[in-house]
Parts: sequence; C-alpha cells; structure tokens
Amino acid sequence: MTAGPRAESLYRPPPSPRPRGSRIDRVEVLDNGLKAILRSLPGVPQVSVWVVYRVGSRNEVPGMTGSTHWVEHMLFKGGGKLAKGDIDRLISRIGGKYNGFTDKDWTMYYETVPAERLETALFVESERMRNAAFDPKEFDAERTVVISEREGSENQPEFLVEEEMWGTAFHVHPYHWLPIGYKQDLAEMSRDEVYAWYRKWYAPNNAVLVLVGGFDADRAAALVHTYFDPLQPEATPPAPRFEEPPQIGERSAEIRRPGEVDHLEVGWKIPGWTHPDLPRIVMLTGVLGGWRGFGLAGSGGWTPRANRLYRGLVEARLVSDARAGFELRLDPSLLTVSATLIPGVRHRDVERRLDGIVAKLRDARPTAREMERARELVRAWDRYEADGVTSQGFMIGQLEALGSRETFPQFLDRVLAVTPEGVRGGAETYLVDRARTTVRYRAEAPA
Amino acid sequence: MSLRPDRIELEGGGRVLFLENPASPFVSFQGSLPAGVAAERPGEEGVAEFLSRLLLSGTEARTARQISEAIEGHGATLEFTVAEDILFFRGRTTRRAAGKVLGIAADCLFHPVLPAKEVDRVRAEVLTDLGRERDSTRERAERELLGLVFPGRHPYGRDPKGDEEAAKSIEPRRLLEFQARCYGREGLILALAGDVDGGFVRSTVARALEGLLPGPPPEPAPPPAPGPPGSAFVDLPHKSQADVAIGRQAIPRRHPEFYALDLANLLFGVIGIYGRLGQSVREDKGLAYYSLSRLRALRAGGSLSIIAGVNPGRLEAAMAAISAEIDRLQSEPFTEDEIETGKLNRIGGLAVNLERNAEVAAALHGIEFHDLGLDYLERYPAIVNGVRPEEIRQAADRYIRKADCSLAVVGPIGGKTFAL
Repeated sequence: MTAGPRAESLYRPPPSPRPRGSRIDRVEVLDNGLKAILRSLPGVPQVSVWVVYRVGSRNEVPGMTGSTHWVEHMLFKGGGKLAKGDIDRLISRIGGKYNGFTDKDWTMYYETVPAERLETALFVESERMRNAAFDPKEFDAERTVVISEREGSENQPEFLVEEEMWGTAFHVHPYHWLPIGYKQDLAEMSRDEVYAWYRKWYAPNNAVLVLVGGFDADRAAALVHTYFDPLQPEATPPAPRFEEPPQIGERSAEIRRPGEVDHLEVGWKIPGWTHPDLPRIVMLTGVLGGWRGFGLAGSGGWTPRANRLYRGLVEARLVSDARAGFELRLDPSLLTVSATLIPGVRHRDVERRLDGIVAKLRDARPTAREMERARELVRAWDRYEADGVTSQGFMIGQLEALGSRETFPQFLDRVLAVTPEGVRGGAETYLVDRARTTVRYRAEAPA
Repeated sequence: MSLRPDRIELEGGGRVLFLENPASPFVSFQGSLPAGVAAERPGEEGVAEFLSRLLLSGTEARTARQISEAIEGHGATLEFTVAEDILFFRGRTTRRAAGKVLGIAADCLFHPVLPAKEVDRVRAEVLTDLGRERDSTRERAERELLGLVFPGRHPYGRDPKGDEEAAKSIEPRRLLEFQARCYGREGLILALAGDVDGGFVRSTVARALEGLLPGPPPEPAPPPAPGPPGSAFVDLPHKSQADVAIGRQAIPRRHPEFYALDLANLLFGVIGIYGRLGQSVREDKGLAYYSLSRLRALRAGGSLSIIAGVNPGRLEAAMAAISAEIDRLQSEPFTEDEIETGKLNRIGGLAVNLERNAEVAAALHGIEFHDLGLDYLERYPAIVNGVRPEEIRQAADRYIRKADCSLAVVGPIGGKTFAL
C-alpha cells in the first residue's frame, strides 16, 4: 500500500485530553494468576467493578451450546457466603447497578456503586468466581428462563437474521452459533454438565478484574488481595482448535416468515483483533456506514447520515435504515451491512445498489473529506467511551479479553493514520464476493 | 461535583440549565419544545412525529447533506425525537464545536424546508416502522394497552406515528402549519452537562440560539379522561413467545403521591431483578425472562403497567402469578425492610445514575420541565426519606389493583382470551 502525500497531510493527532485524574492504570497480578487493573479517578463519586472471564460461546462444543450464557444466569443465584437473592439485595441497597454479559469470546460481570461501597462489589465478585451454588432446583427453574430469553429473541426478525448469518458464514468455527445457544441444547443440558463448565473456566487465572472510579489505589489494591488472594487457580483449559477454513464462494440463506417488513444482511469475512489490517477496516466501515464504535454505550442512539450507505440506500428510499459494523473478535469474524427494506422494494434492488457502493469502494479511494469525517467519528467515539466509569470499565475489560488494553492507544493511532489507498485496498481485499454471505428475510402474508 | 445546576433565561424566551463537570472533555445536551403528540389538534395525528423525522432534511440555509457533514465532521451527534408532551433534541459535541452544533439545531427547528423527496422518504420510513411494530409482540402489546388505558384518542394513548392512513396523507403544508404554531422559543428548554460554564453559556450558547423565532408554547395536553378497563388479544401464530401488558392510568409527575408511588413501583416490579414481580414470576417459578412494572409520570397524567414475555403454554400460569403478586400487596404489604431497601436504592442511585453527561443533561431537563427547582437533586434524599411507609403502601393499594387494569396479550395465542 502506498499513501499519497495529500492524504498524509490530513492526519492530525487527537487533541490532548483535559486532565481528568490519573489515567495511568495500576496493575496487580496476584499469586493465583488474577490480573487486577486499577484506574483511580480521584473525586469521581462512583466506582465500577468488572470481572472478565476468557470464556464465551467460542469455547463451546455442539450439544453444549449456550452453556456459557447459562453459567452467567446461575451466577446471580448465590453460593459461598451469598444466599439466593443476596446479590440483588446487597447492590440494590446501595443504589448500584449490575449485570452480566455473555459474548462469543468472553463473559463479563459488573457492579457500578457509590465510590465508598467498593468493598461490596469486590465481595460479590470474589464469591461468584469460585463458589456459585448451582442448586439443582434453581438450575431447573432457570432452564425455562433461559429458553424464554431465546424465545423472546426468536420473536424478532433481526435475531433470526443474525443467527442465520453466523450459521451460514461459519461452518467449522464455534462462531457458527450465537451465545444464547440452540433450544434443543438448552432443553437437555444437565446441571452437572453446566456446573463442570463453570468450574473449568471460572478461576482467577482465567479472569481480569477491572476497577475504575473514585478510590484510593493503595486501599483498593489491599481490598483486592483480601478478597481474591484465597481463591485457587485451575489448570488453564486449552484454547479452541477450531479454525474456519477460507470461504471459497458466495453463500446465501433465506428466511420466510409471516410479517410485513423484509430485512437484508450481508457479511464479509474479516480478520481478528490482532491482525494489522484491522485499522483500515475501521476506516472502511466509517466511510461505508459511519463509525459508531464497538462499545456498550459510546455510540448512543444516533444515526450517521454522511456516509455512502445512508446516501445510497436510505436517501434513495430503498431501505428505512442501514448500518455497517463489526464486533471486536479474537478470531476472524464478519463485517456486516444490515438494512430494513421499505415495503414494496425487492431484495435484489437493494443488493444491486449495495454491489455498486462496494464496487466503488474497491475501485477508487475515498475523498479527503470522507476520510477526515471518518477520523473525526473515531476520535469522538474514543472521547465518549471515556464518559462514565461503567463505560471505561467495559472497554478495559473487553480489550483485556482480546489481548491487552495497553495496545489500544497504538491501535487508535494506526486507525487515524490509515490512508485513502488503505481504505480502497481494504475494500479490495475483504469486500469480495467469494467471502460474502447474504441473508434475506422475506416477510410473507399470514396463511 | 455540585448537584445544583445554573439557570439562564434567554432574551426573547427560552431557558438554559447547565451543570459543569470539569473532568469531562465534551458537552451533552438535551433540549425540547412543547411540540409533542399533545400539541396535535384533531386531524393532525402523526404530524409531530413526521415533522421531527424531517428536521435534519434541510433548512433555508443548509441542505440535508450539509447538515450531516457539518455535524459528523465535528464528531458530534444531533437527533430529534417526539414524546407525548414534547419534541426532544439531543446530542453531544466538543466545547469547541458546541456553538456551531447548537446553531445548526436551532436552524433545523426554526427554518426547516421540507424537500419533496425527503417527505416521501420519511413517509416510507414511518410506514415501514408501523409494519415492523405490528409484527413485534412486545411493542404491539404495549401499544394496544396504552390505547385502552387512555381512551378517546388521548395523546398519551396514541401511537406518535399516527396510523397508516395518516402517514399516507400528511402533507408538507400541515407540517409547516404545525411548526409555525408550536415551535416558539418561549417554550424552549435546553440542558447542558460536561465541559460548560456560565461564560460559555452566556456567550457561545446564547449566540447560537439567537435566531430562534418568538412564539408562545401551545396548550398542554388535557388530563386524560378515565375509562373502563378493556382488553385486546392479537394472535400472531408465527411467534415463539407471547407478550402480556397489564396497566391502568396513574398520576402526573407533579402529583403529591408521586414519590410514594415511585417507591411502590420500584419495590413491586423494578428493584433487583424486577422486584417482587420478577422474584415470583422469573426467579421462583421460571415463567418468563422478563416480568417487570413501569411507572410513566407525564405532565397531565400517567400510567402504571406490567409487562412479561411468556411461552404460550405458560400464559395462564404466568398471569396467575402476576395476579397473585398484585393481590399480595394487600395481604402482605411492603415490609419496613423492603421500604428501607427501596429508599436506600433511590438515594444511592442518585450518584450512580448520573455518571454520564447525557444522564446529567436528561436529569436537568426533567428538573426544568417539571419545575422541580434548581436544588432538586440536593433535596432528593430528604424527599425520599420523608415518604412515610404507610404512604407507599397506600399508593400500592390505590394504583396497583387488578380491578382497574386493562390487559393486552399479543403472540401465538390462537383464539384464546385471558383475564386477570
């Protein structure tokens, strides 16, 4: 790849952030292998405590799909020094918020609480790391809850499209299924199987603890040792050996269901987080559909309009909305474009227009103004991700699950340094028909 | 960080509230005009929402593309949305670009042009959304319920999008009439949080809003008339799960019982994983992934509703469990310990729920819109602590009652009907 001098001159380093307390994280590695990252922000009235476990649906095997997510549910039901309902009570009484998330590559739990109640959050997380009860009666009651969660998702066309997309694009790798798992597996998995899954993966040496907020770092570090030092490590399970073979031709799938609105999703294979091409895929996504980030809350509920997808598909009245994006993934993954069709518009009309948009990206460099807008959206996303301790905790946890948060500033610099030719080359390399998967959701009149 | 915002009255009309957070490198804003569904006159159903979707489509001075390029070129965001009482505009920007972004927002509000192509685009978008909503069990159940709870086409019971007939027939002329009547600067509220201070607001922000046109706010929504409980059952046989929505009219935000009912609702169907309701329906009986309650306290009225997503084979069991929890409010009123937990949750949550600039801006906006006083956030713990346990129990008894509730069930239910 070559970069034109004009493109290079457009690069501006991000403005220096105003002082907002110490941004130098303290890292403690306990004897049992737990890595603790402490970001002290003096004066901030909240603290957010996150624990990320390096296990997700990526680690599952057929017959056990959804087991990681089920473990997450069970970890709110007590064990050790926590009776059932104690987590709800303890966090509720201090006005905290809390939740858990199961992803393809990781599982995370968090509590955001008033800063002076840090110890309560550490207590909860230390107990659930090794001591969850998995009471058989509770496990049976949760089976229908997990299935209900899946059934609620099945009601939404967007979920069905997503499940079909990953199931069609990945034949070998566990990204083939979504973290919620298949219904038949959820109906048949036993308590002992899921408990064994928990014991295998939930150990201090497979976790990272993240603290962000208004605390004294020395005191917080002492509390971390108090609560987590007694926990025993486990033998680290081997990394999954599944590798998706290269896609050697276009794939497509169709869903037909009663309804009124059609949907379309197109996905192209892209490399995983550590690949050197990822920065230009960020910029490619920004030029194509506007950069909204890959975080929890940073992007908010807004619609980018100054981009090729919006202008080519929405302004043309083919679709009511169109998005481009990708998830941060350990392994090769997908860049997707998803759209909701205007009634009466045919899939092939949208696909033809999308083909034209993509071909143009492959054939010609984006303009300097497009590049600068995409860079500005990336800078803005980085700025807004740092708003609030919860969001910062999530971002640190996610980056640690994928490798290390320490490389992120360099990653951003590399994104901002991508040239127009880099974007064009990225489109030429990755937005190709042989690596494309298309899912068409066709709404039919009820029988 | 102080919890007391500053307030500035703009010359010519409009109010700005702001709270500085020196640690933040940007500004979140939430503004409004009283031009929501409530401002629509008979025959204007859907106009407020339709117009809000066109506000980024061009002004006398800027095309739609110029607007989006200017906003996104600064890494900023700007969105317009309609609610029952008001039109919101929200976004975020750096301090450096705030004058420009707020100036564009003002231009979009007060000098819109409605290009025919954009009107057609929004019409297609609204029709698509209506079709999508008809196929969503949860959205449709909640929409059906609101229509039952607020009868007579009251603004709080109508779909802001109007119906298909309205969406097809709305003309630009009616949109501009609505804009001229309802978008006066005297009703403007703007809340800012983050990298702001008084000098910045008095200079940059005030200058950005200079072009606002005068005009008084329209009449607010009339109080909703009571109606008898009703029911609606919609069979969508291709769905996996049914959604149940149960509810009744409640109280407006400024009602003296608001804090008691807010705590009652918190304990009944919110706190922890959904309070008593979630404990029974989800945790103990495993009947639903979500089963929760919601209090909506608006300017002229409000609603209290319960929603649950349930497998069709367990609908009767889930409704019986919900029914039993409502009855239990009388047989086993909230204990002192529950009430203390609820109060601690609300007071502790004040810090936790104001961690982001956007959350602070939304809180400031609510303070001004409901006229709660600039010291509201400082007084809040005392307000909550001052609610007597008996008042909370009475509020539960008065507003969470089966006899007054309407019911909507949407999903694969065949020809079945249900009752609480």
